[in-house]
Amino acid sequence: MSDSPDRREGAAPLEIEVEGLRKTFGRREVLKGLSFSLERGGFLSIFGPNGAGKTTTLRVLATLLTPSAGRITVAGHDVREDPMPVRRAIGLISHDPMLYLDLTAQENLRFYADMYGVEGREARITELLERLELSHRRYDVVRTFSKGMRQRLAIARAILHRPRVLLLDEPHSGLDPRAVDIFDGLLADIRAEHTFVMVTHNIAKGLELGTRLMIVESGRIAYEQAAGGDPASFTAVYREHVQEGSAL
Amino acid sequence: MSGWAQFRAILRKDLIRELRTRDMLVSMILFVLLAMVIFHYAFTVKENADLTYFTGGMLWVTFIFAMLLGLNRSFAQEKDERCLDGLLLCPVDRVTIFFAKSAGNLIFLLIIQAVAVPVFTLFFIEHNYAGDLLPFLVVLLLADVGICALGTLLATISMNTRSRDLLLPILLLPLIVPVLIAATGATTLIFAEGAGFADLAARLLFLLGFDAVFLVAAWGTYDFAIGE
Repeated sequence: MSDSPDRREGAAPLEIEVEGLRKTFGRREVLKGLSFSLERGGFLSIFGPNGAGKTTTLRVLATLLTPSAGRITVAGHDVREDPMPVRRAIGLISHDPMLYLDLTAQENLRFYADMYGVEGREARITELLERLELSHRRYDVVRTFSKGMRQRLAIARAILHRPRVLLLDEPHSGLDPRAVDIFDGLLADIRAEHTFVMVTHNIAKGLELGTRLMIVESGRIAYEQAAGGDPASFTAVYREHVQEGSAL
Repeated sequence: MSGWAQFRAILRKDLIRELRTRDMLVSMILFVLLAMVIFHYAFTVKENADLTYFTGGMLWVTFIFAMLLGLNRSFAQEKDERCLDGLLLCPVDRVTIFFAKSAGNLIFLLIIQAVAVPVFTLFFIEHNYAGDLLPFLVVLLLADVGICALGTLLATISMNTRSRDLLLPILLLPLIVPVLIAATGATTLIFAEGAGFADLAARLLFLLGFDAVFLVAAWGTYDFAIGE
């Protein structure tokens, strides 16, 4: 997937470059030399069985985990050597909302806005709460929110500082159909402004959204292709790898 | 984004959360008051016995155990819903997180002491120490800074472990002994003998040195402590 510079003439610049990424926890090697890249504006869908290393890859890109080996740059900055600009450039949406349950929606967003130094804080918060249909719950503590509402607020938290790269870890997990519609609508709205990496088991969503598809299995890239191929054949390959991964 | 603004944002968030739920403050205040009642009965072996020379020890042992309760809770909220990940995703210097969390813990400890010290005085102190209030407040503040700096650092290290409720006291109690000795000695001298700054100079300098050592240690190590 990683193209040489001469082959990339005229292509969008690379937003994410991963070369030889390894990650070990104690003696267990979870990532075994992953290499891939993603151009600006691209959407990479990563599939794979449980425990394959998908979330670990995402957490390394998010600077939450330090790579054991390899060179990883996001938005032109090395995640290990220069993590601050990487953090400014990314937003992470996970199945855990990363919200303080005893603060209100507004207090949560104000806190994160202050941490990122968002200019025009109140206007931005109002804009996002309206866009995510949460204005009427602005002053309610998050503990009283449904799972779908918390996830919508988590989306607001993640895009509050207008990140260039959005990392999505099972973003549709636990959402009701209405919340899925709102989330997908929002993704469509901001699609042109961001680069996306999404880890998912939802093959239909991954194929629908991805411009590049990748299957990770046992810490290695088992299969990759550009979007636009035959969904049925990709689905067959995916099922084969997931079954193999589950059997390990 | 300035570190100062981020410091204020983290501190404000912790204060709003605690003042809304009061789960940390209420448990700490209850613990301190109950401990004093228990000390009162445990040490009153004889009617009108003079307990003045035990007072410093009772006071600081109570505060340190109360702080253990608070430290565990102060980081438990960051683990809920993976809020710590949200915090670590922000472009914030890890040392800023340390100072903000320490400042929050210091404020909570001072609130506890504002409630506990008058009650403690009522129970145990016969000598009027109003004239020595300033040295006492300085001892309180210096010892509190050391307890909160070391406590915040160790609570951060232990928060990612399975047995964090057990690990924190095992790590904190041996390391906090120097503060306990200096603060207990100074407090007892104030209560029992009306000691002033000149009499307490060595102990105050020791507390100041302890604070400096652990603030610098946290400065150098917090990035690793709060990481994976």
